[in-house]
Amino acid sequence: MTAIAIARRPDRPALVRAVCVREWREALANKLLVGMTLLPPFVILLAGITAVAAAAVNPPSERDVQALYAAAPAVQGLDPKEAVQGFIATYFLILFMLIPTVVPLTMAIYSVIGEKQMRTLEPLLAAPVGVGELLFAKSIASTVPSVIVTWTAYAIYLASVASLGSRAAVNAVTAPRWILAIVVMVPLLTLLSVNLGILISTRVNDVRVAQQIGGLVVVPVVGIGIAQVTGRVVINNEGFLQFSLFLIAADLVVFWLAKLAFQRENILVRWR
Amino acid sequence: MKTVLRTEKLTKRFGALTAVDGVDLEVREGEVFGYLGPNGAGKTTTLRLLCALIAPTSGGAEVAGFRLGREDAQIRAQVGILTEQPGLYERQSAWENLIFYATLYGLGGPTARAQSERFLRLMGLWERRFEAVATFSRGMKQKMAIARSALHEPRILFLDEPTTGLDPDAAKTVREFIVALRGEGRTVFLCTHNLDEADRLCDRIAFFRHKIIRIDTPDHLRAELYGRATEFRLMPSPRPEDLVRVKAVPGVHDARLENGSIIVEAPDPLRTNPLLIRTLIDGGAQIAFVTERKPHLEDVYLKIVEGHA
Repeated sequence: MTAIAIARRPDRPALVRAVCVREWREALANKLLVGMTLLPPFVILLAGITAVAAAAVNPPSERDVQALYAAAPAVQGLDPKEAVQGFIATYFLILFMLIPTVVPLTMAIYSVIGEKQMRTLEPLLAAPVGVGELLFAKSIASTVPSVIVTWTAYAIYLASVASLGSRAAVNAVTAPRWILAIVVMVPLLTLLSVNLGILISTRVNDVRVAQQIGGLVVVPVVGIGIAQVTGRVVINNEGFLQFSLFLIAADLVVFWLAKLAFQRENILVRWR
Repeated sequence: MKTVLRTEKLTKRFGALTAVDGVDLEVREGEVFGYLGPNGAGKTTTLRLLCALIAPTSGGAEVAGFRLGREDAQIRAQVGILTEQPGLYERQSAWENLIFYATLYGLGGPTARAQSERFLRLMGLWERRFEAVATFSRGMKQKMAIARSALHEPRILFLDEPTTGLDPDAAKTVREFIVALRGEGRTVFLCTHNLDEADRLCDRIAFFRHKIIRIDTPDHLRAELYGRATEFRLMPSPRPEDLVRVKAVPGVHDARLENGSIIVEAPDPLRTNPLLIRTLIDGGAQIAFVTERKPHLEDVYLKIVEGHA
């Protein structure tokens, strides 16, 4: 009797769907991971709404206004109360750009280090799937929820500013450049963070160490954001396009590096 | 029988260590092939090589009709592997684990569900299919891992220590499963330290310590090392003249008294034993029973593997 195997290479959509469903189930069952994922957007959202609301209630002093004009020449000429609200609303938008760097990093790190710790990688790699495909599926599994969390937080923030803030604050958070940043740059930043998380996870075994190393990715984002708010750097349309192209290139390079590190033999023989 | 696995001077080195050294093997379709060796002998490395998980340093192999190094994805689709660790997603249910792996092996929805049900029932886990694997005992997890490795009906199933740490009941289920696979014409490549299990299950055995030391059937290995012996239990105990008569029978190489029995060594017991029985009865002896005397495979293993070291 000749035995017949019924297996074949899965098609990519089925593989991505299976990996996503499994990783999301795993993530939802891990209370620590859920907490670490939701805490940063919750804190940023709460602080942002509170600050905008507080600025509406408490008019700024003359000294505050002068300090604001000095720090952010872009808001000079506006009504002081509106300017403060606009400044605060924009400042917290920058913090929103931190969500796609912090949240997916945690998920991506757990996605690889978690599998290392559970020793589930060997049977996974024994399946007839390419490591690139597996890595792509894992990237998507971490990217999608992070983007949804960021967009949801932004939507809540937008609604809150619209109901609590001044016209200047609403104009600040609905500026086309910021909406474009949220729509385009959030997924690109998320992918970068995910693939950095995976790359780091191939080299370390401890979630905390991986998070500390991965945390460095927020530094340039914060720097650019502060420079933009304080008027030191004005990101115009051309600058925005260049930064987006840079992110796409960085995404591809980091994914390629992660794919290089995520090889069957490396994982089985060298990862401990 | 067709050859389903063939290696040619298969070698794997890690730096200065040669884990697998020029292995030449031929495994036939439908046989249970035992792979026995001490810890650190390179058994797991061999399995990983044959499942296209790691690349050989030199040499080659053809697994289930596909060439190692050129058709690795096809090899992985045709083989199943039970690794040393069950490696299950513990927060997820048994059902979710199997459906996930069925998808990775390209089984469509209805086939994935049918295969998952089949193997959960075979392993006696169907009633607990919706429970998180973390709540399972070690034996249940091992059975789950075996179900996962066989889910896609592989032509060759590589099992690394499948019954280690299992209670007798779970070990029996696993052994019966291996026998059932052989009945379906599937090949089982069994790495084990359990020599009794290897003796019971394997059609052929390879003794291995970085390289192949010997390959043969358990019976041939025994016969070659210890000859073929038969125990004649007499009632009352044998007399000296019984031993003299036995030694005089043609074909007998040696005979001795041992705990109320006569132990006879003869290369062809099928021909010699009827003559011996007649001789003893004619001499007035009462025979209680006649048994083939088999040395334990453990003795054979120690003699070959330790002797080779």
